[in-house]
Amino acid sequence: MPINYKTGIINEHKNVRNHSGIFDVSHMGQILIENNELYLHKLEKYIPLQLKNLIKNRSHYSFLLNKDGGVIDDLIISNIDIKYKPYLYVVYNASRKKEDEEIFVSCAPNAEKIYNKNCLFAIQGPDSINVLKNIIDIPNNMNFFDILISKYDYNEIIVSRSGYTGEDGFELSIPNESAENLITDLLKNENTMLCGLGSRDSLRLEAGLSLYGHELNENITPIEAGLSWALDKERLEDKNLNGNKILSDQLKNKLSNKKIGLISTNKSMLRDGMTLFDNNNNEIGKITSGCFSPNLNKSIAIGYIKSEFNTDNPIFCEIRKKLELVKINNLPFVKKNYKKNGSVYE
Amino acid sequence: MSEKKYTKDHEWVSIENEIATIGISNHAQESLGDIVFIELPSVGNSVKAKDEICVVESVKAASDIYAPIDGEIIEVNNNLENDAAIINQDAENEGWIFKMKVSDSNQYSELMSEDEYKQFLEQ
Repeated sequence: MPINYKTGIINEHKNVRNHSGIFDVSHMGQILIENNELYLHKLEKYIPLQLKNLIKNRSHYSFLLNKDGGVIDDLIISNIDIKYKPYLYVVYNASRKKEDEEIFVSCAPNAEKIYNKNCLFAIQGPDSINVLKNIIDIPNNMNFFDILISKYDYNEIIVSRSGYTGEDGFELSIPNESAENLITDLLKNENTMLCGLGSRDSLRLEAGLSLYGHELNENITPIEAGLSWALDKERLEDKNLNGNKILSDQLKNKLSNKKIGLISTNKSMLRDGMTLFDNNNNEIGKITSGCFSPNLNKSIAIGYIKSEFNTDNPIFCEIRKKLELVKINNLPFVKKNYKKNGSVYE
Repeated sequence: MSEKKYTKDHEWVSIENEIATIGISNHAQESLGDIVFIELPSVGNSVKAKDEICVVESVKAASDIYAPIDGEIIEVNNNLENDAAIINQDAENEGWIFKMKVSDSNQYSELMSEDEYKQFLEQ
């Protein structure tokens, strides 16, 4: 996947927000794990969900956790039947394939990696449903994070209504031999276009979504990353879950750092790794992701600052040895546009 | 105006009456992608060749612009303050970045010609 195609990051970004764009995310991990009680129990050591209660044909955002509750990876896990057999279908980060697969295989020795035989495409943006529905059967009542099996070219494909841009959209896992035909069919619609990693990053950042290696790593727990909503709270009482004590303590006590959104007050660009200061020149935190926001026409960022810092006070970001004033902005920067109960919701 | 010359850092320079006009090459503009901001140099500063004197920010990265030759900055392209994308549209004309009073015109003759720059890009 390139950084961008011919028309550039900003144009691709706007096309996704206003119409539709297609991302080839085939580099990501995809694995099928047989849905049986033994495997689920073993996986529940790492995944903070009640796996046996996952609703069929639904996806969940979750994590693999290390023994301290730190994030080994963030992932999407779905309960789906394939050829009448029940599976967990997991999509995970390319950069974490080695770590994740070690865990999956230790829990379920016959787990089947499918990313070598299946491409993964994300079609994102408000027009995506119209681009897709002429080519693939999509039921009218399909909501955000629903997942099902459909057909294309006589092949079974996995279709989920999801993505990582804050827009309505779909992810399609399709056998390699049909992948090129599908892309060609989709691109016949002039409302969509191929998009690259650059716009994928600026779209997810505007939507306030975390990215592994930036907001998330093995030394940060989901709670510290502001993602406690994704944890099953009952599981935090379960000793079988890695880091359960640390996580339940964190939920009750004040954290040392908090995740914030920042927006530039001038034209300077906020970037990953820049240091944040209070007005007495004390370091208070760091930026973990920054980019130019095409929707706000300013630079935006996500970062962590000390919890004790009073956010009514000014914050400065060091940019090329100069301190520039930045403003706190609630996450997300751009409201989400997901489909639920037959209508698009925020 | 004199022949346009190029540096290895992808700046272009042209000279008229000992005043050099400087910008980034079309190739540089293409590889940077959408340019969203430029921090212009300060008028009146005396600089040496290879000094970092301003920064172009694109959606991909920040990129330093170096002085191609010694001299004094005498003018900057204020249009870029409001619309840095002019560089994407016309890097080697309307997208000029600053002008310098040249101290040593020999430095200019040592820069690459357009053909030499093209060869340099192909390497």
